[in-house]
Amino acid sequence: MFRSLQRRIVVVFVGLLVLVMALMLALVTRSNARIVSTEIQRELTAGMQVFTQLIEQNQRQLETAATVLAADFAFREAIATQDRPTIRSVIRNHGLRIGAQAMMVIHPDGYLIASSQDSNEPSGSALSPFADLLSAAETAGKSSGFRQMRDGRLYQIVLVPIYAPKLIAWVAIGFVVDDRWAHDLSEVTGLVVSVVHRGGTGAGILASSLRDAKRTELSAAVKEISSDMPGELHIGNEHYQTVHVPLGKETFVALQRSVEQAEAPFQTLQTALWVIVLAGVVVFAIGSIMLARQIVRPVNELAGAARRIEAGDYAEPVPLKSSDEIGQLAASFDLMRERVANREQKILKLAYEDSLTGLPNRTRFIEEFNRLSDSSHGAVVVMNLDRFAPINSALGHPVGDRLLAEIGLRLGSFQSGSNLVGRLWGDEFVFLLRDADRAAATRFAESLAGALRDPFVLDGQRLDVGASLGVALYPGDGRDAATLLRRAELAMYAAKQLHSSVAFAAEAGDEPPHEQLSLIGEMREAMARQEFLLYYQPKLDLASGQVTAVEALIRWRHPQRGMVPPGRFIPFAEKTGFIRELTPWVLETVVAQLARWREVGINLVPAVNLSALDLLNPRLIDHMRRLIGSHSLAGGALCLEITESALMEDPELALAHLNELAALGLKLSIDDYGVGQASLAYLQTLPVHELKIDGSFIRAVATTPKNAAIVRSTIGMCHALGLTVVGECAETADEIAWLVANKCDLAQGYGIAKPLPAEEIPGWLAGYGARQRHQA
Amino acid sequence: MLLVVGGRVCAGDIEATVTAPSGEPLADAAVVLEPVSGSMPERHSTVTIAQRDRELVPYVTVVQTNTPIEFPNQDPFKHHLYSFSPTKTFEIKLYAGKPAKPVVFDKPGEVALGCNIHDWMEAYVYVVDSPYFAKTDANGHARITDVPAGSYRLKWWHPRQKRAVSARAIEIGAAPMSVTQVLDVKPRVIKPKPPADKEKY
Repeated sequence: MFRSLQRRIVVVFVGLLVLVMALMLALVTRSNARIVSTEIQRELTAGMQVFTQLIEQNQRQLETAATVLAADFAFREAIATQDRPTIRSVIRNHGLRIGAQAMMVIHPDGYLIASSQDSNEPSGSALSPFADLLSAAETAGKSSGFRQMRDGRLYQIVLVPIYAPKLIAWVAIGFVVDDRWAHDLSEVTGLVVSVVHRGGTGAGILASSLRDAKRTELSAAVKEISSDMPGELHIGNEHYQTVHVPLGKETFVALQRSVEQAEAPFQTLQTALWVIVLAGVVVFAIGSIMLARQIVRPVNELAGAARRIEAGDYAEPVPLKSSDEIGQLAASFDLMRERVANREQKILKLAYEDSLTGLPNRTRFIEEFNRLSDSSHGAVVVMNLDRFAPINSALGHPVGDRLLAEIGLRLGSFQSGSNLVGRLWGDEFVFLLRDADRAAATRFAESLAGALRDPFVLDGQRLDVGASLGVALYPGDGRDAATLLRRAELAMYAAKQLHSSVAFAAEAGDEPPHEQLSLIGEMREAMARQEFLLYYQPKLDLASGQVTAVEALIRWRHPQRGMVPPGRFIPFAEKTGFIRELTPWVLETVVAQLARWREVGINLVPAVNLSALDLLNPRLIDHMRRLIGSHSLAGGALCLEITESALMEDPELALAHLNELAALGLKLSIDDYGVGQASLAYLQTLPVHELKIDGSFIRAVATTPKNAAIVRSTIGMCHALGLTVVGECAETADEIAWLVANKCDLAQGYGIAKPLPAEEIPGWLAGYGARQRHQA
Repeated sequence: MLLVVGGRVCAGDIEATVTAPSGEPLADAAVVLEPVSGSMPERHSTVTIAQRDRELVPYVTVVQTNTPIEFPNQDPFKHHLYSFSPTKTFEIKLYAGKPAKPVVFDKPGEVALGCNIHDWMEAYVYVVDSPYFAKTDANGHARITDVPAGSYRLKWWHPRQKRAVSARAIEIGAAPMSVTQVLDVKPRVIKPKPPADKEKY
């Protein structure tokens, strides 16, 4: 009930008011009751005093009147002379004079002489109601009192003596006590005046200022009360506080004050108070509800803003409406919202943006992709730069980074409402083309290639950057980001291999086996962990019987898989472009090894295999030049082996590079001759020095005439063209003998030696020399 | 007033004392000796009850039947003297000085006198058929002298007596006698009398 702040405020405010008002009302009601009670008592006391005084005053007036009458000479004469008719006539006349309703003349002995009341009154009969008054008068000279007469009515009676000059009679003057009398006294005293007679048979009303129904009710009520126990009396539905003034033995006056009438003005006050209290509560309730709303509304708005911020919506500012404490809180809150928003922006930037190019990163790409609906379609394009690794290694990482930034800047222009451009890693970028089909993807790829065709200029250096693109279409090629990325990458590798700018995943074939995939992934780390090492396979000069050269062959000592043969990872290194990082390392290592061998007096010409990517790398020449320069290599000290297929990818560029390499004094060798389509006519245009006949021809050359014919003619032609010939995979003594017999220049293979670690070469050479001498 | 009657030999004096039941001497009580038989001398000297200082003086007067009483007014204003007593009813309306003729009290009995304009004024006349009577003084004493020897009825009276005392027979000889009587009387009602002003009205 009190969970809402607003309700709590209202309840506290109104509750306090109600409490205060209730206390006040209770106080007023209590004090009113006390005041009413006190006031009634006071009025009754005062009324009783006034009443008593009035009665006494009345009595004195009556006495005076009676005394004057008693002094009348004629009256006295009539009494003294026992003139009854005259006496009666006189008292009737004098009664009229002073307004008395009853007059009597009584003999000093107590019998009635004359009465105005009843003409048939027998003289001499005792007047019992008066006997006590008479004896009191004999003692005090006069007396008075209230007596009920024979007619049943109550009279105020005074008794005075008549002297002539000695006491000759008493005259009694009676004034009737009736409703009029009660009414007059009631007007003076302000009280209800009733005369009650209590005889043996019960109580009756002799006179009362009450009228009609009330009077009837009083006579019913009065039966219940006793004269000596005044208090509260119920008359009808009204309450009367009552005091009694005795008038005689069995008669008393009840003076009464209506409690209801006394309460009336206070009732009005109380009613007014109730109205004020109720109105106050209503006004207070409305006021406090409004106040509470004023307080609570901004708090609720703040809470709403807090919920929005909690939900991650920082856009809407916190409403600022007032300058009070809540307003200040709201202001601080708004500042907090801005700062949190800024920080989150930064964090989002860090989390979703590639710091080098400012483009979205892989995470962002995946999130964006996941936001697409299942029914949508489009394309994921992976772009890998051609010839980036040589640039990076030749010009250094800072330059490479700047180039990437420049490229990112240029690619940024492809960012649009439906297209997302991101950088995956290194020199690999990704594009999400929403709603794109194959044709649109092709157009996009073309425009992308066009954008990269313009060379980049860094520090005045002109850099040509090509790119290979792989396109995976969704939902056809896959539905999740990981699959699509992988397939697009594979397509990209395919494009690289085919020397085409773009390839589609659907045509690039299925994904490679899992193991290969993981190897591909691990190659970069293997480089850093120095898991690659070089073995060297000796090449035997068949004419001299001397080992004059070695071929450097890469091995991967995988921590879990052991030795991984080159056939298992080199194709992927070539596909992924990793070969461009691997080859420079091989070259560096071989050159360093060459120097070490020289130090121990071993002169061998090492050969390094170049892949198509290596050969077509525009920075190959610079790299080789720097390598030769830094190690002061003499001409012909290093051999480069190039496969036919490598030559065929870009024959013109290959030729250009080969020319330059030859010019640098490098020995060039064509590897695996015979499996490709290269013709010797073409080969003779190349500046190569050596030709290595593929092992498939050498194997069983001694026993297969056809192979022998091909090899024999090839050797002949090579010699005619001035090329030295190497027989690969010479495994048996027969084969070696055949090669020697057919004037092959060099032989290589298990028949001579398997590839050996560098440190085993000197020992092997020594051993081989000794064996040859021994055989000889 | 003491009446002294001279005459035959063997006349006696009688000394009377009247007290209240408490033993207090009672003034203004009348003592009368009525001869049982035979005639008695009638001596009618005029008696005076004056009105002085708004009072009737004396308070009690005892006279023999047929005695005229004069009511001289010695105040400077008028009085209205009356009696409603059956023994002698009369009225002397507002007068000053001495009325033209005195009132003769011709029947025995008591007479109450009042003034109609001064309620407090009162006096009593006791009319008896005998010349032998006396009135007690402040000490309750009264003396009747020169009563001839013989049989008499001794009677007592007081204006405020509660009960009449019955007469009793008494023999008067030459020797002086003394009698006593106790009379129960009501106290005198003192009616309010305004004090006289400078002109004594």
